[in-house]
Amino acid sequence: MEGTATATGFEPRITAFVCNWCTYTGADLAGTSRLQMAANTRIVRLPCTGRIDPAFVIKAFERGADGVIVSGCHPADCHYTAGNYHARRRFAVLRELLSFMGVDERRVTFSWVSASEGAKWRDVVNGAVERVRECGPFESYRALAGGV
Amino acid sequence: MMNATTISSSDLSGLAADLLAARVRVAGPARASDGTVEYRHAGAPAELVLDSGVPRRSLKEFFLPPTEPLFAWRTGAGGRVELLEAPLPADPAVVIGARPCDAAGIEALDKVMGWDYRDEPWFARREATTIVSLACAGFDRSCMCTSVGLAPDTTKGSDLLLVPIGGGAFRAEVVTAKGARLVAAYPARFRPASGEAEAEAFRKAAREKVAASAPPAADPLRPWLDAHFDHPLWREASLRCHGCGACAAVCPTCHCFDIVDEPETVGTGVRRRNWDTCQTPRFTIHASGHNPKNDQPARIRQRVLHKIVIYPKKFGEMLCTGCGRCSRACPGGMDLPEVLARIAALAGGAQ
Amino acid sequence: MTELRELAKKLLAEGAAKVVIGWEEGPRGVRPAFATDAAAADRLVFDARCAHDLAPYLDRRRVHVAKLGRPAVVVKPCDARAVAGLIRETQVKREDVVLVGVRCGGVLADPEAGGTLSADTIADRCRTCDSRETALADHVVGTPVEPLAAPSRRDARVAELDAMTPAQRWAFWQGELARCTRCNACRQVCPLCYCDRCMADKTQPQWIESSPHGRGNLSWHLLRAIHLAGRCVDCGECERACPSGIPLGLITRKVASVVADRFGHKPGDDPAVPSPIGTWRSDDPQEFIL
Repeated sequence: MEGTATATGFEPRITAFVCNWCTYTGADLAGTSRLQMAANTRIVRLPCTGRIDPAFVIKAFERGADGVIVSGCHPADCHYTAGNYHARRRFAVLRELLSFMGVDERRVTFSWVSASEGAKWRDVVNGAVERVRECGPFESYRALAGGV
Repeated sequence: MMNATTISSSDLSGLAADLLAARVRVAGPARASDGTVEYRHAGAPAELVLDSGVPRRSLKEFFLPPTEPLFAWRTGAGGRVELLEAPLPADPAVVIGARPCDAAGIEALDKVMGWDYRDEPWFARREATTIVSLACAGFDRSCMCTSVGLAPDTTKGSDLLLVPIGGGAFRAEVVTAKGARLVAAYPARFRPASGEAEAEAFRKAAREKVAASAPPAADPLRPWLDAHFDHPLWREASLRCHGCGACAAVCPTCHCFDIVDEPETVGTGVRRRNWDTCQTPRFTIHASGHNPKNDQPARIRQRVLHKIVIYPKKFGEMLCTGCGRCSRACPGGMDLPEVLARIAALAGGAQ
Repeated sequence: MTELRELAKKLLAEGAAKVVIGWEEGPRGVRPAFATDAAAADRLVFDARCAHDLAPYLDRRRVHVAKLGRPAVVVKPCDARAVAGLIRETQVKREDVVLVGVRCGGVLADPEAGGTLSADTIADRCRTCDSRETALADHVVGTPVEPLAAPSRRDARVAELDAMTPAQRWAFWQGELARCTRCNACRQVCPLCYCDRCMADKTQPQWIESSPHGRGNLSWHLLRAIHLAGRCVDCGECERACPSGIPLGLITRKVASVVADRFGHKPGDDPAVPSPIGTWRSDDPQEFIL
């Protein structure tokens, strides 16, 4: 099942797991600033990147996401002090293991985007969409189960 | 209707080629990527490996796959749910080179699969599949087919039994009408029967080899087992068990399954049945939280009793076919022949 | 193995332990043993066939083993790292177990086949192991042995996989994982997979599908590797136990190298050294984060 086809081709479906205090607010700023950016993301808001279980990323791919963005507060800025430090280590492992098992690492984007970085969020999203567009649809993960 | 023919190994290979050309699936012992022989679908006759003992897993996965979709659902307008049933499998298939213990296991399972309701996918695969077994020379000290009323050359579950007669040839004994139909469909591959004496010598030697190291017969142990449900032997036997379920995965007759509903997208999904095992801690857990088989001694006991006491009581035949895989696969060193020998010693003493 | 047997008998006689968990000869070769008396202690062995990690038997959920009483467990250096993990993660109290360290020069890749230890027959994890005896022990037995050092075959295979394209790696793992039946042997024999309720067993919601199709299998093995990052001691039991011959050792080796390269950490036998996941440094590498 492809994403909505446009004149230029495949539109990736990106799930973005973002922390409430920094990236979500930054994304909101991008919106209120009327910055133009790709519309391919669905944002899932969490209190902190430290709450992001690697299983969320795996689940997103299982459910048909073509790409995933994970974004939170810069080091030393975490609202809960150290959540992003824990997350940073977890993401490092997750990323390499996903790649090792054959998930193209261009499909997963990690970023630190602060509440004031609306423009950076736009750039992160646009960059992710282009990288995932290059990779093509990721039907293969969901389709691994086979149907009737 | 026991009539026989001869088939040379090159003709057997040719038979596989004929079948593949006729779009019949051919399965048999073949090498996996790690070099170990297991039952696989063969793309070419050369893939079949007929001289390497007991394949890693059993034949059951060709009749009861590890995962099988039952139906798909879609929630439509007004909350109406549409079901799309999985089509019954119907691809014709021939297994070439089945071990007799594995073929016997498939026939044993027919009883439970046709018991309280008819398991349609199981029987659809059964009807579509012809099993050509290769008589076994006896593999290793974990073999115990002779202890459960079978033998390395048993015809139970087979449609055709091939017995080596030297020179790479086999005496092919027709066991069922389905086997006769296979011979009749490919007459160029089968020659007049020969090698009766060689076949008999092979079978006798194989039976003696297995019987020499096999534990005491399991059937006479049933009354003792019935009367000693709480015996401490299960506590001792279970100490090294990890509850890992490797035994159930490789067993020709373990058939417990789990049913799961897996959502695919919003409003759609697939119901599947998956292999399960009574050896894992949560197999018998109730919604209340109570678990009647709450420790490994109870679970080990359940597995052994199911094979040699409960199934015979219910269906009149042993569920264990003595293939020895559980003992080979166990990472903790469980050994079914050892357990049976222990029970026999206890039962003998009690008399 | 007189020294080990005498020590075992002494521990039992003095009541320092009610059961000595070690290895013995079984019908198919060496296997775990639970010696509760002198006769059983006299059957304990230690040689290159003793590949089994005995640390899983300390899991509190194994009630029937716990009922035997205070355990003494014989540990190779790799097994001691597993016990250290259990102590570190408060699954076992150091004072509740007697540890008998055994000097080890490596074990066979195929313990059932037996034979002599050589560069060809040694288990891959032993080729690069630098521990000959553990410091986490109440007693140490055995003669000092020189290890058979050799480059790891798994490292070479991991490097081959790393050099492939993602699509090639995907095809490789889908091929291997197609044999997985989700029997859970890998999980049950793992000393560090002790969760009373595994994430794969949770159903509200079902995070990891239990079905042994390609999707469930990939997600399961990915998640298990992630949960073991920094904790896996490379005891090799998962791969040994797998009834379907899946090369799980490649995944454990990859995880270990990621943890070593990025966090400078290798699991050790000191329970006081914290795990790398669950701890952090402010200067952790983050070159992959935009």
